[in-house]
Amino acid sequence: MVRSDSVARIWDWKITATCFAVLVLVALIAVSFGPVSIHFPRILRTLFDISGGATDQERTVILQLRLPRIILGALVGAALATSGAVYQTVFHNPLADPYLLGAASGAGLGATIALTSTHHNVYGLLPIFSFMGGVLAVLTSFFISGKFFAEPNSLLLSGIAVGSFATAVQTYLQQRHTDQLRPVYSWILGDLTSASWDVVLWSALYIGIALVILFSVAKQLDGLMLSDEEAFSLGVNPNTLRILAVAAATLATATAVSASGLIGFVGIVVPHLVKGLTHRVTNRSLVSVALVGAAFLVIADLGARTLLSPAELPIGVITAFVGAPFFLIVLRSRRKVATS
Amino acid sequence: MKIVVSDLSVHYGDKQVLDDINLEIDHGLWTCLVGPNGAGKTTFLKVLLGMASYAGSIQDHGREIFRDHSRNVAFVPQQPQIPQGMNVAEYVSLGRAKIDGFGKESSKSREYIYTILQHTKLLGMQHNLMTHLSGGEMQRALIARALVQEPELILLDEPTSALDLHHQISVLNDLEVLKEKGVTIISTMHDITLAAMYADRIIVMQHGKILLSGTADQVIHSSELRTAFENRIDVYTLDSGRPVIVASKEIHTRDEE
Repeated sequence: MVRSDSVARIWDWKITATCFAVLVLVALIAVSFGPVSIHFPRILRTLFDISGGATDQERTVILQLRLPRIILGALVGAALATSGAVYQTVFHNPLADPYLLGAASGAGLGATIALTSTHHNVYGLLPIFSFMGGVLAVLTSFFISGKFFAEPNSLLLSGIAVGSFATAVQTYLQQRHTDQLRPVYSWILGDLTSASWDVVLWSALYIGIALVILFSVAKQLDGLMLSDEEAFSLGVNPNTLRILAVAAATLATATAVSASGLIGFVGIVVPHLVKGLTHRVTNRSLVSVALVGAAFLVIADLGARTLLSPAELPIGVITAFVGAPFFLIVLRSRRKVATS
Repeated sequence: MKIVVSDLSVHYGDKQVLDDINLEIDHGLWTCLVGPNGAGKTTFLKVLLGMASYAGSIQDHGREIFRDHSRNVAFVPQQPQIPQGMNVAEYVSLGRAKIDGFGKESSKSREYIYTILQHTKLLGMQHNLMTHLSGGEMQRALIARALVQEPELILLDEPTSALDLHHQISVLNDLEVLKEKGVTIISTMHDITLAAMYADRIIVMQHGKILLSGTADQVIHSSELRTAFENRIDVYTLDSGRPVIVASKEIHTRDEE
């Protein structure tokens, strides 16, 4: 029907449903593979708690090793992809990523402080240290840039400066404690090996809160694509919305980083992938962005676990391996659009 | 009903952009702001929107307008920021988002958006990207977005400056229809002849001050209008009685008709 079709395609539940189906499928594939091979029907029976499932040892592998890791991967992927999409809208910059305002470097510094500390009980506080580091770095960026969003570019620049400073301190600490080089290094490249139900629970809490906030303002984010006066006349309060959106995206990013280290490129690759597939503004399909981000990271982690099995490849290596070329393609097609 | 402006001043840093403005603007009429570049017309529009801060008072329906979110005011900028990757239907429907509480569009809204798309001759190109529109189509999309808002007041900054003659008239005629439906229109306009043709009231601004305001007839034939443009305009009257204002090469030292 022309009449409803003319405007109704704006929220398309079918796209979201497809993305959800893809995530479930990917999760099922991921739970089936690993260094220990387990029959797929036995896995299904175990997951749905039907009798005749796996042995006790296999149950532990499925329920205590693979499942929390897959869920954490999905949470982190959703957090990074959604934050990336939101940052791209807020800063009018298609190449913005969740680490833009120094969240990554700050979190990296926090984690390095925890890892190189001589007090062993600090080691267990790594997630808290990296979380605090990330949030502090973003707050510092805001503080330095002064007028919040009066000039988005000055905020970006102060984010870069804060990030560089944190990285410098982190490298210094790393060089002073060469014995800890390896754990620091592997944390920087990102990994989900720390996944346990504890980590899954607190990550789910913070990422859940952040995503609910972002999904609920998704349609208002469209207003930020216009001038501030236009946004205001459409009922959007541009500055309040920017602060809320950046705060929620930072919460999600900091949580993801503290749970899994620095996993690059998800925040850029996934929003552009969804945009390319759906041909619509990412705010309109923010839930799909989250679902695809989750699926992307679960697949990447499957690769990390299995490609060099039984050894592990850092997941950041895989996302960057796919992400870097993709990033270049986006750059190139943007230039084409700009010159045509 | 009136918008009452008293002792309004606006500064950008050290620069005084609007200087002690006192004015009443009638609802239900078309008021046009004219004056040379830098007179403060656009700033005045933005202040009337309620977003920019100001000294003094502006009351609409008896309430101060600053950050008053209960007003339904549409704003059509001179140079809109065109969102990447957004199609015409999505763009136009942004005007409806507040009415639907930023949720899913109601079927009533969908019908209304469809009607407006049809009326603004955008039907058939609703899936085109905004970045691919021509100047005239872009202006129609902007007006359409303002219309689906069902505003009681619509502010337009140079609505015709990017358009050829044919499209200028078509946009202005649409606005006139809107006015007849009871919508208040306040616009800035470079072309004083067109302003005289459509506006009920004309306000002449210069250096952030109101030089003159009144009915179109009063303003066009007054000497202050020439003062505002430093005596570089000629006013002629056609046989039909319609005034025509054209630029003049000479500087006139006294009034000539």
